[in-house]
Amino acid sequence: MRAGWAICKRELRSFFVSPVAYALLVAWLLCCGGNYGFVASIYSSQPATGGSDNPLTMFFGGTLLFFLPLLVFIPIMTMRLLAQERAEGTLETLLTSPVSERSVVLGKYGAALIFWAALWAPTLIYVWITSRFGDVDLGVVASSYIGVMAVGAFYLAIGVLMSALAPNQIVAATLTFLVLVLLFGLGIFQFMAFDLTRDVFSYISIWTHMQDFAKGVVDTRALVFDVTAAALMIFLAIRTLEWRRLTS
Amino acid sequence: MLSVRSLTKRYGAQVVVDGVDFEVAEGEIVGFLGPNGAGKSTTLKMITGFLAPTAGAVRVGGIDALRHPQKARRCFGYMPEGVPLHTELRVHEYLRFRAELKGVPSRKIGDAIERSLDQASVADAESRIIRQLSKGYRQRVGLADALLGDPPLLILDEPSSGLDPNQIRYVRELIRDFAGKKTVFLSTHILPEVEATCDRVVIINKGKKVGEGDPRSLRSERTEAFFVRFVGVGTPEAYRDALEGASYRDAGIGRELELEVDGDRVRGRLQVPDEDAIDVLFRAVAAAGLTLRELGSEARSLESLFTELTTEESKGSPVDDDEDDDEDLDEDDDEAEDHS
Repeated sequence: MRAGWAICKRELRSFFVSPVAYALLVAWLLCCGGNYGFVASIYSSQPATGGSDNPLTMFFGGTLLFFLPLLVFIPIMTMRLLAQERAEGTLETLLTSPVSERSVVLGKYGAALIFWAALWAPTLIYVWITSRFGDVDLGVVASSYIGVMAVGAFYLAIGVLMSALAPNQIVAATLTFLVLVLLFGLGIFQFMAFDLTRDVFSYISIWTHMQDFAKGVVDTRALVFDVTAAALMIFLAIRTLEWRRLTS
Repeated sequence: MLSVRSLTKRYGAQVVVDGVDFEVAEGEIVGFLGPNGAGKSTTLKMITGFLAPTAGAVRVGGIDALRHPQKARRCFGYMPEGVPLHTELRVHEYLRFRAELKGVPSRKIGDAIERSLDQASVADAESRIIRQLSKGYRQRVGLADALLGDPPLLILDEPSSGLDPNQIRYVRELIRDFAGKKTVFLSTHILPEVEATCDRVVIINKGKKVGEGDPRSLRSERTEAFFVRFVGVGTPEAYRDALEGASYRDAGIGRELELEVDGDRVRGRLQVPDEDAIDVLFRAVAAAGLTLRELGSEARSLESLFTELTTEESKGSPVDDDEDDDEDLDEDDDEAEDHS
């Protein structure tokens, strides 16, 4: 696992010495700021919506402004991970070192998760701002962030798998984007379908997941779904790397 | 140290490497020679475990590399073709990452990096960003990487491709310095490289091994023909007349005489039994009143041997006429063998 940690550190270092990381952070914060500003302005014009409801609940998954950036940022964050190494040939030095495919994939996935957390860290300021103008239930805030990490873990794992399959970054990003849009679209479908299909769609819908988490409901079904789906994607990514030795 | 048994790689119907066998003993420097597209890189990728072979066995330091790949990979340092590096990092950052990957204990990483920087003579670029380094320096960073953790075996794919003549000489000296200390297996399509650095050579063509031995014995083994070339003033007919009359060891030396006119000069090339026939040729030409400007023997070079071994179907002219050709036999089409 030491090798995995080395790969994770290298990945983060390479990312943060490139301007891409900062451009991504700035763009991300613009999106989040816009979302929070939009939500806050709604709440300030209609003050007494009552209960524990506050702008943060709506910020975390209450609007499309929360989800659309996810669909764009996650492909950009994960596209480099394996596809770039393949395109530049560094995958060869990596896979001929005494490391397992598992360490390689987990190291890179770990780096993506850390960067994901880094993207969300500045949004803690919104919690502080909201707390100055009203009551903020820290339990609800914690559950919201658990939801963000769970959904992120799932979507990032899809990105890692696509990056393992794709020959280069552009293909990786496109594939990830398409899969995420498809999944997200299926989730939306719950509002149009009935009976069993509706339940199935709501189960895979990150929209539903996030709405629960944002209300302070840590739904273990959603957590289990996100974590197992992420584990499956990571497992497939590891197998993809192993399989590539046979075919490429 | 390295043992390869009937190694084969097939992509569908296409056989890229076809039952290659060879051994590399400890401390040897062995060249793996072949034209572009012969399957050299694919073979190295299978030895290092980047590609899984279709059939065959690889043992590195006595370890079955297919069964225990990670254990086997601890025994060698590998520099792939084109030396891929994380160019956004500084040299020491990159080497630290590589040392961690290779399982060098954290307390020893500093020393290990310093030693490999030293061995690859790249210490002066330690804090430079790799992207800003020249190709020669990058090659040395790749070599420093391969040397990290002091592996007994170095596997180098085209270690001097894309370098200028000074850098090539430098890399060769570095490799030569490993003689006796490390086992080196290097691939190349550049013949002088093999003659300059290697104790032994394995020749491959179209995925098959076509020759093996030390460069000198390989050469003498096959010396059936000896050629003399000359440049003189006069007409081709005058030379033909002069040489057809001359004989050496009871045989005419004028047979298989090739003549071509080059301005007011005549270039000639003929097969003789051995080097002493040159004297006979010289006297015959002088007796005919002709003047020679150049006269020399054409030692059978590894290059001609290589050409012969790797161009079996076009046996018409087994010896390459262009002795003073530059070192690359076949510069174009470097991608030919890149299947990955």
